[in-house]
Amino acid sequence: MSGARVVVSHVSRAYGTAVVIDDVNFVVEPGELVALTGPSGSGKTTLLQMLGSLDRPTSGSIKVDDVSVELLKNPAQYRRSVVGFVFQAHHLLPDLSARHNVELPMLAAHVSRRERDVQARELLAEVGLGDRADARPADLSGGERQRVAIARALAGRPKLILADEPTGSLDSVASMKIWELLVATRDRHGTTVVVASHDATLVEHADRAIRLVDGRIVEPGEPQPATERVA
Amino acid sequence: MSLLLPTLISMRRRPGRTLLTALGTALGIATIVALLAVSGGAQRSASQLVDLGASDLGLFQKDAADPTTSILSTGLIKQFDATPGIAGATPLMLLVQDVPRSPATIVFGAPSSSFLTDRLVFSAGRMYGSGPAARNQIAIGNVLAQQLHLGVGGSLVVAHRTLRVVGIYHIGVAYQDDGAFIPMSTAQAITARPGETTTIAVKLDPGTKPAAEHTLLTKRFPGVAVIADGEEASRAGVNGLLVSKAALVIAVLALVIGGIGVFNTMLMAVIERRSEFALLSALGWSNFQVAGRVLVEGVVTTVIGAGVGLLLGVFGAHLLVNVLGAQMFVTPQVTAWALGRALLVGVLIGVLGGLYPSWRAAHVSPAHVLAQN
Repeated sequence: MSGARVVVSHVSRAYGTAVVIDDVNFVVEPGELVALTGPSGSGKTTLLQMLGSLDRPTSGSIKVDDVSVELLKNPAQYRRSVVGFVFQAHHLLPDLSARHNVELPMLAAHVSRRERDVQARELLAEVGLGDRADARPADLSGGERQRVAIARALAGRPKLILADEPTGSLDSVASMKIWELLVATRDRHGTTVVVASHDATLVEHADRAIRLVDGRIVEPGEPQPATERVA
Repeated sequence: MSLLLPTLISMRRRPGRTLLTALGTALGIATIVALLAVSGGAQRSASQLVDLGASDLGLFQKDAADPTTSILSTGLIKQFDATPGIAGATPLMLLVQDVPRSPATIVFGAPSSSFLTDRLVFSAGRMYGSGPAARNQIAIGNVLAQQLHLGVGGSLVVAHRTLRVVGIYHIGVAYQDDGAFIPMSTAQAITARPGETTTIAVKLDPGTKPAAEHTLLTKRFPGVAVIADGEEASRAGVNGLLVSKAALVIAVLALVIGGIGVFNTMLMAVIERRSEFALLSALGWSNFQVAGRVLVEGVVTTVIGAGVGLLLGVFGAHLLVNVLGAQMFVTPQVTAWALGRALLVGVLIGVLGGLYPSWRAAHVSPAHVLAQN
């Protein structure tokens, strides 16, 4: 399966008078692993949410494989079939086993029970948790939980994975494993991956980094805004 | 895992709240089942009272509390006899709780010979006579005779009056085989109502339509309730009407109160689990699927409550009859239809109570909630 092509054109997002994203433009090619970097509050999460149709731009357009995301009438269908999310907090349902958590997106897609079971076990094996399928989140380490979250994001074989600070709450060793897993996923399936992270060490493993400061893309060599210098 | 599994797991997360909500529903459903069972039993009893023989219509006093408290003048019989379409009319006095050895027995005061009593088939002895010498005679049903070990020549006390058994009959109607017949004059003396009766049974001419005669009699005798079948009999009695209306009121109350309970429980659950619903939405669950999950939780809770309520209601019906002291006349009738109606109310409580919370769950903004976390 090939990844999605993402085209972001003049996208802005404002909440009242506060402009969070300001005229952002970029393209992510299919199969590319792009890191969105920048300090806290720079708009990385908002941008990811708009790419995933969890939020809509105030102006501008986002096209994923020629689908205008901001115009979607059925965003649930888009999120189910095109996008896989990985959040900083793993957001696993505590009462469900790892396998059942991975099955959640497939439930929405009406995948048969047998097929769900097979796919969930395969995905957990793919992230190195084949033997922990029946473990509850409380019985897993932080890194393992995030790997379950990645397996869940891969359910339905999305063309685009959006990861918001996936290593934010992990130690350096676990963080590196998660990055390796995202890279391996891209290499194995050709999935397009956009990762928001402020971890400079890990960002080096991305194909390309897009730096956001105060909602605007800052090109390499461009003078830093005042807030960035203070931080 | 099915769609139901996460629902059941979520309910298990808050067992106390789930149980209390289910219990509230159970009490409402139990009340409905008990009242429907009692009113059903009362209806059946009334039906059997009307079906006393070959009569086509039963006449009772309008707005009587129940058929046994109706009072009609026997003088009406001549007028009924003269009414077109009527082949014959005969008085029938119902006496209840007057046989100390068998409180459930109903004693019927009736003339020795009428289209009602002529159908009695005697296995021993005969029908009582018609003259003054017969005033202390009684004919008893074979079930009552067996129960009290009575035979012809034995005696039975009815309302402090000792009567001699002159015949034992069988007719195949439970109330009558478990009851007894006494002369009309004796019944009137026992109740101190000379010239009165509780009921007048009417037999129509062949070819006369009961519905047409029903209309005619209702117009001509406005103080008389004309009953053609058991259901009408139960409706004619104020008590039966009260029970039916009480069941309706309780059903509505159960819907409202149970609905509020489910509403409250589900709304709290939705507020507590906003991040869960936001996550499901982010994972591609449609608004309909997220709402359905909350709605199913509400319905499952109330169906569990309804299940418990059905059981409580069956026991409660017997308890209610005993508390009302009506066990002699009314056997609670628990029908599949009554249980089905109660279950339907349970499902409705879940649906109505869960509507708004499910709407709230479906409209949780995944962007805001997940960003906050």
